[in-house]
Amino acid sequence: MASNGTTDHTPSAFRYNNNNTAVKMDTTTTTNGHASTPGPDPSTVKKTTAAAANPAQSTFAVKAGLAQMLKGGVIMDVVNAEQARIAEEAGACAVMALERVPADIRVEGGVARMSDPAMIQEIMRTVTIPVMAKARIGHFVECQILQAIGVDYIDESEVLTPADPTHHVDKSGFSTPFVCGCRNLGEALRRISEGAAMIRTKGEAGTGDVVEAVRHMQTVNAEIARASSASENELRQMARELECDFALLKETARQKRLPVVNFAAGGIATPADAALMMQMGCDGVFVGSGIFKSGDAAKRAKAIVQATTHYNDPKVLAEVSIGLGEAMVGINVEKMPETNKLAKRGW
Amino acid sequence: MTTITVGVLALQGAFVEHIQLLRRAAESIVQNGPRKALHEPPHFTFLEVRNTDELQACDALILPGGESTSISLIAERTALLDPLRDFVKVQRKPVWGTCAGLILLAESANKSKQSGQELIGGLDVRVQRNYFGRQVESFEADLELPFLESPFHSVFIRAPVVEKVLPPSNAVPAENSPDQVLAPPRQSTNAPVEILGRLPGRARAIRDKTTTAEDLGEDGDIVAVKQGNVFGTAFHPELTGDERIHAWWLTEVVRLKSERIG
Repeated sequence: MASNGTTDHTPSAFRYNNNNTAVKMDTTTTTNGHASTPGPDPSTVKKTTAAAANPAQSTFAVKAGLAQMLKGGVIMDVVNAEQARIAEEAGACAVMALERVPADIRVEGGVARMSDPAMIQEIMRTVTIPVMAKARIGHFVECQILQAIGVDYIDESEVLTPADPTHHVDKSGFSTPFVCGCRNLGEALRRISEGAAMIRTKGEAGTGDVVEAVRHMQTVNAEIARASSASENELRQMARELECDFALLKETARQKRLPVVNFAAGGIATPADAALMMQMGCDGVFVGSGIFKSGDAAKRAKAIVQATTHYNDPKVLAEVSIGLGEAMVGINVEKMPETNKLAKRGW
Repeated sequence: MTTITVGVLALQGAFVEHIQLLRRAAESIVQNGPRKALHEPPHFTFLEVRNTDELQACDALILPGGESTSISLIAERTALLDPLRDFVKVQRKPVWGTCAGLILLAESANKSKQSGQELIGGLDVRVQRNYFGRQVESFEADLELPFLESPFHSVFIRAPVVEKVLPPSNAVPAENSPDQVLAPPRQSTNAPVEILGRLPGRARAIRDKTTTAEDLGEDGDIVAVKQGNVFGTAFHPELTGDERIHAWWLTEVVRLKSERIG
């Protein structure tokens, strides 16, 4: 099973050179990393599905590009086609198709796995916005299945039960882009060096308590601020400390932000929560249990979409916060036993 | 020195990327010295547009890539759709739409979302959403554009294409069919639709999963069009780091503004 273990392989620079925010590019350069199509690492070839015939497909720029199109938007968890339609009508920029929302996974327990492909495909047929789906951490075959049915993004998610005790999936060999969770900068950069084209803070899914999302965003922001003011030597030290790739850390320091799109997730339940995360500097929000576990899902979904766009306009935020009915009941994370925290999954 | 305010619609999508590239394009205009169209480079300011007041401050506007359904729903709820239609079709200020922005600027689009979607209009064309398929069918390609000296490397993300150039919206009442959505009419324009970019050899490069290429023949899919004040591209120059299209468009904005004043 060595082929799965790629978390420690040498990360290569292409993964962020293609990003739009790499602004060093000469104006006369018309190729945008065309030549740097990620070829699968020879040691990982076995487990990746056949690469696209066209070398300009599935490049990192194309993968990260879709995430850039999602910015300023809300991605909603949906468990069936009817909910997916409500989400699309509310203005969601994408949906996450899964069988049980995190709040139910908590209550019901057991092993949480990839959803039935038929249910994901029905949602893909129902809506025109991108459809994401979750695979278990390290479960590269679930990822192969999700890629085969054509989902637009794969979430290697701590909300499902991890399938590999030591490794995350090597994401660079897939043509479908990946989003992964993080609690801090080191975790984010490790996922990016494995090929993730989008990051989300983990928060604490299924709680309706935004405190962990805030904590993780603050941690990432503080570490980026520290990296941005660090000398070259300090950055090397910091890369060792955070256990991340030095080149990626340096690029993060230069851009003063993560080199890929970063959404907030895990505990967002109200328009104010969404705007809070946006004001803290995330690029958009995931709302999981918060919408369809509330009293009036359609109204709340619309309100969270409006709040994510107008996050800096308290008057709009007040308007959309009025009369939303019951919010999801929620679980106070502080009173939760450490072993129940999903964010602890992944490394 | 004249000041020109260029807005980027910031309801959802890659608006920050456009503003970054506009800043660099403005610098390149100043550095490259006055062009034919620009005796004196104007001072540009760039603005994120989320409401009517911000829109009113703009001389020109970019509609960025994003999800076109999200953008039009948010615009509707922010009471921005009619002000946007006035901006594009009555005031005829320069507007550029990329990808989702192109869809919104089309007078007609295929109705893929079950309840349809609101369009702004301004380009007498019909677009086909998600023409190339889902995300795994997204790609990069080099494009020849008549206003650039060398090819432009462009990124297509779940991109639309211009399927058909329509007769001017004032000529005949548009036939409405159940499988398309139309933009509400305003003042029409006499400006013709110019095709500025085609994607060559797409059929060979990408497995065609739709059946809408019939009237395009071997010329390739239309991916860049202009009609008077309205410019649309199916791809994302804002994802490339190459500011040449932005620089060209800014000089167009200056030219159109001086014509309006003149």
